[in-house]
Amino acid sequence: MTPVKWLMHWHPSPGATVNSQILSEACGCAESLGGSKDGRWKTSIFFYRAMTRDGAGGPAGQQHPDLPRELLGVALHERPGLYFSIVRAQRLVLQADAAFPQVMEKLQSYRIRVALNFEGFQYQLGDFCLRIGKCVPNNSEALRGIMMEVEYYPLSSIEKSKAVMEDFFDIWQETVAKKSLPGQFIHVDSSFSDYGLSDQYSFQHTAVQYATCLQQLMAAVTVRG
Amino acid sequence: MECVVQGIIETQHVEALEVLLQGLSGVPKERVRVHELCLKSGPNLGVVPSEVRLLCDLAQPTPSWTIRHVGGAMRGAGAEQISVLVRTIVESKASKNVLHYFYTLGYKLDHELLKIGFAFRFHRGAQITVTVTSTNKMPRLHATDEAVPVTPGIQLVEITAPAAADNYNDVVSAVSAFCEYLAPLLHLSKPEHSTGIVATAGAAAASLMSSGGGKTL
Repeated sequence: MTPVKWLMHWHPSPGATVNSQILSEACGCAESLGGSKDGRWKTSIFFYRAMTRDGAGGPAGQQHPDLPRELLGVALHERPGLYFSIVRAQRLVLQADAAFPQVMEKLQSYRIRVALNFEGFQYQLGDFCLRIGKCVPNNSEALRGIMMEVEYYPLSSIEKSKAVMEDFFDIWQETVAKKSLPGQFIHVDSSFSDYGLSDQYSFQHTAVQYATCLQQLMAAVTVRG
Repeated sequence: MECVVQGIIETQHVEALEVLLQGLSGVPKERVRVHELCLKSGPNLGVVPSEVRLLCDLAQPTPSWTIRHVGGAMRGAGAEQISVLVRTIVESKASKNVLHYFYTLGYKLDHELLKIGFAFRFHRGAQITVTVTSTNKMPRLHATDEAVPVTPGIQLVEITAPAAADNYNDVVSAVSAFCEYLAPLLHLSKPEHSTGIVATAGAAAASLMSSGGGKTL
């Protein structure tokens, strides 16, 4: 039984940017609520691009119309033995094991173009676990976004856990608001049923949330002046 | 990597082979019922064409899926001299929507087969798997319940053993040594060098069936 989890991403106010001070303040909020830091975490997302014989993975305009423009790979911190691949346009999530990237490498039909890491500290807070992290390209420190996971250990039903997660989110929002930061955390709302996922939470749900979170992060981040 | 040899045996001698394998391995046989789908990349996908196999294990209460990529065989003078094929292999478990997934990625179904039979998995110098199966084709798409044998009187015997770059010689030796025990019943060789059925198979099978399972012939 996998505990239910919500993802949230930092949405900066109009004209504001994402910076590491916001990350520090968010970690401070976790500690002020009584959270005890107990380690680091890292989830990675890989962008694959189709290799075609008439364009060989060139700009998106050369993509074959029948092939997915975006193929994601997700390696979750809590399950290094698993790997997920998502075709968002088709609402398709495949669960495979850690050897799957090697299969894709052998096939040479899709290649990784960009790798992003979501990484940071985690905090235990009663029945909750908070993971607050930054989104950075692999081998770079350029901050692309800030997000967090809120995991609730006692429940794995999405519906049954909704009330307690909303209550926690309200408390979190109030705590963060006191810092007067230029922006707010927004819940990453994913349409799990579109992906054929049930009310029972699973690692596939988490992979889908990361894919949705990334999409929202990319839309929210403004160019730093 | 894996080491692999193959051979064929007449269906009438499969029971004798089972007796021999049971005696040699000391483990119970496992049922094999695998739906194998071979997918190939569409015309424009990939710098070079690619092929991937999806295996659905129908012998389990809940079917499970595996993605399998068979790579190139080891080449060179050394490879020519050994009687076992050594090739790269990558496998990954997958959720049941894996066929839909590869269709979405631009792969097409080239052919599908149903392999029915049994397997013995044991350790004898290496982790060896001996699989004896009839290969069946389906008259309609995915109709595994209507499958019929491709070659009714003949079954395929395959011996595989996982290997790594630093131990494949030992694995090759273990597989070759094991093949010797089966020599009276069938000849095993690299998949591209099949040699047909063995003349002594009938006598060997009769001996095995009359001896009630003794492993000596």
